[in-house]
Amino acid sequence: MTEPAPGPYDGRQMTQQTGGEQPWPTPPPVQQPPDEPSGARLHPLTPFVKGWGYFVVAAIAMVNNESLRSNLTLAGFGLIAVLVGGIALGALSWWFTKWQLTEEAIRVDSGFLFRRTRIIRFDRIQAIDVAQPFVARLFGMAELRMDVAGGGKSDGKLSYFRYDEAVRLRTILLVRAKGEQAVEHADQQPQSEPILVVPTARLLGATLLSSTVLGSAGGLIWLIVATTVLDFHIGLFAGLPLLLGVVQPIWKQVVGNHGFTLSETGHGLRTKRGLFDVQRQTVPPGRVQGLLITEPIIWRLLGWSRVELDIAGVAGSPAEGEDDREGAQLLPVGERAEVAYVLARVLPGLDLARIEMHRAPQRAKRLRPIGWRYLAYGYDDQVLVTTRGWVSRRTSIVLHHKTQSVRLEQGPIQRRLGLANVHVDTPLGPTDAIALHRDQFEAARLLEAQADRAREARREVPSSAAVQTQPNPPSPDGSSSSAASPADDSSAT
Amino acid sequence: MDDLFAPSDVTWTPVSPKLAAVRRLNSAITFGVLGLVALVVLGVTLGWVWGLPALAVFAAGFAWSWILIGRNQRSWKYAEREDELLVSHGILFRELVVVPYGRMQFVDVTAGPLERSFGIATVELHTATPATDAKIPGLHPDEASRLRDRLSALGQAQAWGL
Repeated sequence: MTEPAPGPYDGRQMTQQTGGEQPWPTPPPVQQPPDEPSGARLHPLTPFVKGWGYFVVAAIAMVNNESLRSNLTLAGFGLIAVLVGGIALGALSWWFTKWQLTEEAIRVDSGFLFRRTRIIRFDRIQAIDVAQPFVARLFGMAELRMDVAGGGKSDGKLSYFRYDEAVRLRTILLVRAKGEQAVEHADQQPQSEPILVVPTARLLGATLLSSTVLGSAGGLIWLIVATTVLDFHIGLFAGLPLLLGVVQPIWKQVVGNHGFTLSETGHGLRTKRGLFDVQRQTVPPGRVQGLLITEPIIWRLLGWSRVELDIAGVAGSPAEGEDDREGAQLLPVGERAEVAYVLARVLPGLDLARIEMHRAPQRAKRLRPIGWRYLAYGYDDQVLVTTRGWVSRRTSIVLHHKTQSVRLEQGPIQRRLGLANVHVDTPLGPTDAIALHRDQFEAARLLEAQADRAREARREVPSSAAVQTQPNPPSPDGSSSSAASPADDSSAT
Repeated sequence: MDDLFAPSDVTWTPVSPKLAAVRRLNSAITFGVLGLVALVVLGVTLGWVWGLPALAVFAAGFAWSWILIGRNQRSWKYAEREDELLVSHGILFRELVVVPYGRMQFVDVTAGPLERSFGIATVELHTATPATDAKIPGLHPDEASRLRDRLSALGQAQAWGL
């Protein structure tokens, strides 16, 4: 560090109108009042945006309550008390929450009864998103989500900022996390041109044709026919989960992935999606652990597929109540050419068609009467690929140098048939590369070979850990330190 | 035949037979308590004669577990290769795990009260994925701490980021 950091980065200074001297791409006209030295506060509307739900609930509760409706003044007082109390609590929490950037970490102090200080080191940040929940978007505000390896998403949430401020902060953190200080001068344009947009019509069509929805809809139709024609009333309750099975995926896909846009930035691929709750996510090159391509049965006829990614630190913890296997979506539904393009972008030099796939032996039929035909694995010098599933086909791609461990497994029936499974473990995420029901000798050879390939790949690729933990010293010419970007890229190959 | 799950190009270290002793004691306690409960419940409700067959069933269960535990204990083995730790175990469901040292996030050494009294400990290697099942039970405490130190040293030396 040549510059006297952390000075220019810390919260107090940030609130001043510093000249053109970094790190903000454009010096922000910040409206926040000057603070005491320990950091900057969040947006003053934060408590309202965070707590609006409670106000609505309180209002509904007041209105719905029979005895209170008869006594409107009491209800009014109650509502006002709740509002005032809520705002006071929220304001207190807002007042005591401060954040600042130090030399190597972002520090957040919060809590007025129980003080809490959380320090997130830049080199531990795996990915950073700017998210805009619905209400926050109405006010032009956004929250910053930092994914820390091993931590839940809520551990790294900072809300709310003005949108452009959040974006700027994200750029800074991303640059710091990747350890390339000088790069930010090179690419100061936060906006990027979209590579790919998924049309809503296709999203809707794809969801309607997905296995879950079709199965549930089929079940629902059968149920309705059975009820009306056969006068068979018992099953009606079963209709509820089935209806949910139809509506929920449609809602999730069409609303959650509305306007899915993939764009290219200097820091990696970036996705943007959502109708009410706009989610942005950056996929830093070199952090991709594995890919999963899913093709439900009807999608295969249309040539559609979905691409998901394992990124270190992105998979949330189950405690958040979200789908814990949800990694990063790279493409909710895409045509063959788009999928090929995206794959080539994430893993340059990968050609799935060129990889020779080895099918499982026919005796696997005993364990998988239909699906055995689709069990296969293949590899090249960069990745190992496994496929399985006949209703919904799953193709898992694991990078050799990201392989965590390799396991050989055999159950009693497999042993009688002389079969075994090989698991190639990757960090938590959608990818699960398992070569199921291989001949046991072949499986043992695959285990050894994969361990060897992983070892070789680790040796060849320069350690990305070194890049993260030792930020490149800013050199006078930006060129040598921006070389960190291609180097980072190459670790994805 | 067993070569599949224990490649012969490395030297395999078996785990201590005390592991079987601990597990048998555990199983004895479990079956003993269950048997006593069954005996008392049946004895009070149906008559004490009915309790005896129940006791016999639990005794048979214990005898069976005695044999299984012995076989299972003998199946546990591990090997340290230049770059990887290999752990192999299981008779009915067999598993061989290959974990590169550089993938290690942290090492756990645990010993419950029963294990401690028998003088054994468990070493578990954690990687970034919970799927990795690299656990070695039944190690002598000295061996456990030697393994822990060696693994952390190797993990440090070969550390590989995510």
